[in-house]
Amino acid sequence: MLKITNLVKRYGKFTAVDNLCMEIDEGHIFGFVGANGAGKTTTMKIVAGLLQPTSGEVLVGGIDILSEPRTVKRKIGYMPDFFGVYDDLKVDEYMDFYAGIYGIPYRERRAITDQLLELVDLSHKRDFYVDSLSRGMKQRLCLARSLIHNPSLLILDEPASGLDPRARVEMKCILKELRNMKKTILISSHILSELSEMCTSIGIISQGKMVACGTVDEIMDKLSHSSRIKIKVRDRMEDAIRLLQEQPSIGKIDIADSAIEASFKGDDQVLAEILKRLVTQGIPVVSFTETGESLESVFMHLTEGSEEYDD
Amino acid sequence: MINPILEKDLKTKMRGWRTPVLLSIYLLFLGGVLFLFFLANNQIFVYYTDTAFNPRVAVSAYNVIAMFQFVLLMLIVPAITATAISGERERQTLDLMLCSDISTWSIIIGKLIVSIAHIMLLVVASLPVMGTVFLFGGITFGEIILMFLFYVITALMVASLGIFLSTLFRKNVTAIIATYICLGILALGPVIAFFIWGVFFQRSYNVEITYSLLTAFLFPSPGYGFASFFAGTQSNLFGTIFNEIQHLAEKETNFLRYLKPWMINGLFNIIFSGILISLSAWKLQPVKKRKRKA
Repeated sequence: MLKITNLVKRYGKFTAVDNLCMEIDEGHIFGFVGANGAGKTTTMKIVAGLLQPTSGEVLVGGIDILSEPRTVKRKIGYMPDFFGVYDDLKVDEYMDFYAGIYGIPYRERRAITDQLLELVDLSHKRDFYVDSLSRGMKQRLCLARSLIHNPSLLILDEPASGLDPRARVEMKCILKELRNMKKTILISSHILSELSEMCTSIGIISQGKMVACGTVDEIMDKLSHSSRIKIKVRDRMEDAIRLLQEQPSIGKIDIADSAIEASFKGDDQVLAEILKRLVTQGIPVVSFTETGESLESVFMHLTEGSEEYDD
Repeated sequence: MINPILEKDLKTKMRGWRTPVLLSIYLLFLGGVLFLFFLANNQIFVYYTDTAFNPRVAVSAYNVIAMFQFVLLMLIVPAITATAISGERERQTLDLMLCSDISTWSIIIGKLIVSIAHIMLLVVASLPVMGTVFLFGGITFGEIILMFLFYVITALMVASLGIFLSTLFRKNVTAIIATYICLGILALGPVIAFFIWGVFFQRSYNVEITYSLLTAFLFPSPGYGFASFFAGTQSNLFGTIFNEIQHLAEKETNFLRYLKPWMINGLFNIIFSGILISLSAWKLQPVKKRKRKA
């Protein structure tokens, strides 16, 4: 559905997107992860036909966005991270306006508006001025707007940003609904746990480059060479830490919740050896657990050293 | 199907309090000017005095009103149009429009028609005020209609200029100021250029000022086009200048003698508007189309 090849966007000497490649199959949900200013919004704007790339190719449904921008735009529904609304329009007038923009005939507009307001749970607000809606409702209205022409590809830039926990849950439910409708979705978010739950694949972008791409499991497998071990001791914590520091397979050691947490590289045999040494030294080990590295920590590891900037 | 931008903007502009207030102030202002003019010329209380009514005062009143209206249009149109695109950008709604498949031409034309319709509302609403001069005679209905047409063409040019600069600049304030500056240059620039030419060249080479020469310098200035509608007396500076232009036109031997200043300026306005609208539509395109690979 979406294929990006060697996409580059430069602003003078600064490179916002650097040879980015990615592909999303039809009906898949692709989570776009990256720090602020990593190049997510720039990439999404290029795909939405709002920004001219310096070089590279973007194909939507096999059609080049630069060759036939208007044809491609009909296939895309875009929800930006920051957007404004017309204060002096009512909710149904707002939807009617965008239906007009997409050339939807008058006779069909009412039914489409009803259906979409129902989807985003705003039917009861249709006669309210857009300005009077809460932030979460405005986000949902903007999502309904992006669906007005029944696009096959949805580009959602931080759809849950600035929302309270309840509004986030509501937004998540709508996105699940869209997934059931078999829409192809490119979504960016800072909340990695949310993305890992609903996305079929994830791309991690840092300083304009795609540093990892694949399913959540693939990324974890490929990048989590190290795992973490959590050790609880009754006392003699200093001795335990000293002993762990002597082991070549143990990396960074932290203390959290009165337990020792350390990154570890090695197999089960090495792990058993460490436990044995702790016990033979007479350290009272209460628990000894190996935990997988979280997506957050993988992300932090991958994007280490990247600076934030506004894109 | 009606242009959706036109439909939406007309709906929201007419719904608020701004339009009726603006219209009321505009009409009160024009009416006030007319009242003060008659008052100053002792024509208001003519029935209570023995003074006879002077019809020439009505013609002068028409000139004053026409000129006031022209200047007001020049001041109001930039304020309305120069925020057309930059306002959408500031409100963060422009991207939502540009990511759709609507053409940038439709956006620009929609915005242009809204602006002109707004201005025309003011002009049409002021017709009864203008019509008061009919009570006294001296001005024909045809002349008022022609002037109305000239207002439309001038408003089109000013609106196109405002929209173009609104496309060029990101902020409303910058776009508005730039429009006023450009309009000032367009209105006064040719006149200043003509005077400079007169001081440095005309005196040295003793070139006779003709209608063609005058037109060659002044054709872009809206004030020059307006000269055709100053039905006038020679009692003031403008009357003298405009009458002089008429005399020069009558002396002209080539086809230009049939072209009045409003026609020449109007033609320039139409061509200039076309260029500005095309440039605006091109500039607004977020992505420039690439030729398909063979």
